Amino acid sequence: MTKILVVAESALRELLRRRSVLLILLLLPLAFYLSRRGDYLGQSIRFVCLGLGWALSTAALFAGSAARGMEPRLRLSGYGSLHLVLGRLLALWTVGVLLSAPYFVLILVDQHDVRYGAIALIMALTVAVAAPFGLLLSAVLPRELEGTLVLLTVVGLQMVMNPANNITRALPFWFSREIGTYAIDHTDGGYLSRGLTQGVAVAVTLTVLVAVAGAVRLRQRRHLRFA
Amino acid sequence: MDQERRAQWLRGVLDLCVLALLSRGESYGYQLSQALRAHGLGAVQGGTLYPVLLRLQRSGLVSAHWREGETGPARKYYRISPAGSEALRTAGTDWTAFAASVGAILSEEQMR
Amino acid sequence: MNHHAWLAALTGELRRHGVGPDLTGHVVAEAATHLRESGEPPLRVFGPPEAYARAVADSLGGPDLRPPRRQPGPVRLAAQGVTKRYRGRTVLDRVDLTVRAGEIAAVVGANGAGKSTFLRICAGMLSPDAGTVRVHGTLGYCPQDGGTAEFLDPDEHFVLVGAGRGLDRGAARRSGRAGAAALDWAPPAGTQTRHLSGGTRQKLNLVLAGLGEPDVLLLDEPYQGFDRGTYLDFWHEVWRWRDAGKAIVVVTHLLNQLDRVDIVLDLTTPGERRA
Repeated sequence: MTKILVVAESALRELLRRRSVLLILLLLPLAFYLSRRGDYLGQSIRFVCLGLGWALSTAALFAGSAARGMEPRLRLSGYGSLHLVLGRLLALWTVGVLLSAPYFVLILVDQHDVRYGAIALIMALTVAVAAPFGLLLSAVLPRELEGTLVLLTVVGLQMVMNPANNITRALPFWFSREIGTYAIDHTDGGYLSRGLTQGVAVAVTLTVLVAVAGAVRLRQRRHLRFA
Repeated sequence: MDQERRAQWLRGVLDLCVLALLSRGESYGYQLSQALRAHGLGAVQGGTLYPVLLRLQRSGLVSAHWREGETGPARKYYRISPAGSEALRTAGTDWTAFAASVGAILSEEQMR
Repeated sequence: MNHHAWLAALTGELRRHGVGPDLTGHVVAEAATHLRESGEPPLRVFGPPEAYARAVADSLGGPDLRPPRRQPGPVRLAAQGVTKRYRGRTVLDRVDLTVRAGEIAAVVGANGAGKSTFLRICAGMLSPDAGTVRVHGTLGYCPQDGGTAEFLDPDEHFVLVGAGRGLDRGAARRSGRAGAAALDWAPPAGTQTRHLSGGTRQKLNLVLAGLGEPDVLLLDEPYQGFDRGTYLDFWHEVWRWRDAGKAIVVVTHLLNQLDRVDIVLDLTTPGERRA
């Protein structure tokens, strides 16, 4: 447990020291929010959540890439791959919560007649999904540029595709639209439970995949034996 | 005088000069550097002198010991050893012969 | 430079030049006495500390002052038949290497001879096409570059790597700072790695490899960017590790150190070897 916490602490320090990146991440959801605030208030909530997801995934993508040089050394120094993955996830989740909090307050102040609890849930799920999503992309794609393009595609699709279309359920942030409808348009609980199920499933799946990718990349190779 | 040439000459004979000074009685680094200057060899800096003393000590030609001064700090005193006196005698004779040869050549040149 | 600073620098330089602690004490004390009596600036009397230390070391004769060789201990690293091919070219061809506790092995060879590849295979970061590596104990690895985090300062590195080795914060920091001091480096608190020079990063890299006293140290040309003094410090540290019973494998292309190691593994293939 100590090992996970030390990794988390180091990763958190690294993230918080990238001031300019952090500032852009913080402002990006705001831009999303303001872009839709004029025409339809509810839509701006959906957009801010997507913005948060995108910002945090991008942060995770870059954090994952930056950690690559150090991770083999840490593995040799006595860390298990799970320590490294969970530590980094913990740091990203923390950043995600810090990032979402001001937006939740903004919505509390700026919007009325919406289900705030459901909005908090969207944000929590977004954070839970975005961190492993970005890390997974950094694990499977060789360069940050490819990862950024994939993220752009996913969020873009999420915005333009009809949520009723079954294929969109495969998109990681689909729950956001679904629970958003429940929160803003006061629809029935079906939206909530469908969104919740998908969100939790995606978060769990991505977290497991990141752990597996880490375990494979940092595996103890067969030719090397410790006695 | 050409400083470069002077330094070269000194390099060849500094250990002998130090041995000769020590044959008159034990001494320490700073006093030796003063004595060398008084004899007209100019300022022989510590950076040159102490490595020579160390080499003499390592080869057993001088012995060294620390002693508290009556005034001032503890000093490392050097004393010539019997082997050092012997080396000084031999090298001293060699030098006299060498210097005489050089002197003879140079004075012939001047006579022309 | 005042007397005190100059004498302190001289102490360090004498150590770097392999002058033992007793003699260092004598030389420094004698210089101090002289400076006090003459009242002259040390740079005029003795010159730069490095030059004076070299003169002292030269006047001592033989440069090899390392402690007497001890009997090597049990086998710590055994690489057998390590073979690696890249795009049809055989880089490593059935390479064997056995290093015992208290031994230094130097891996030499031309550029592209596979020195780093061999080390990465020993560290388990790369799989060979054939062959095995057995390690008895823990492994420390110093890559040629990288291996540090840009946005963390040296102390945070010590804590992070130390925690993996089971050291608590205080112990990790002390141990890291002690390792740094051996390389004549006082890590500045709060300075992130990205603001350190190349040579200083390599010092950090090296200290991290030795953190937590691993039994086997794999060092991949870790001295790049080191000045001459630090380079000497590096070898002293390696010898200290050897005397502490560690097995060390160091990649080097500087052949003048080969008389001071126990094993030389030349990876230049016979066909490429120049006369």
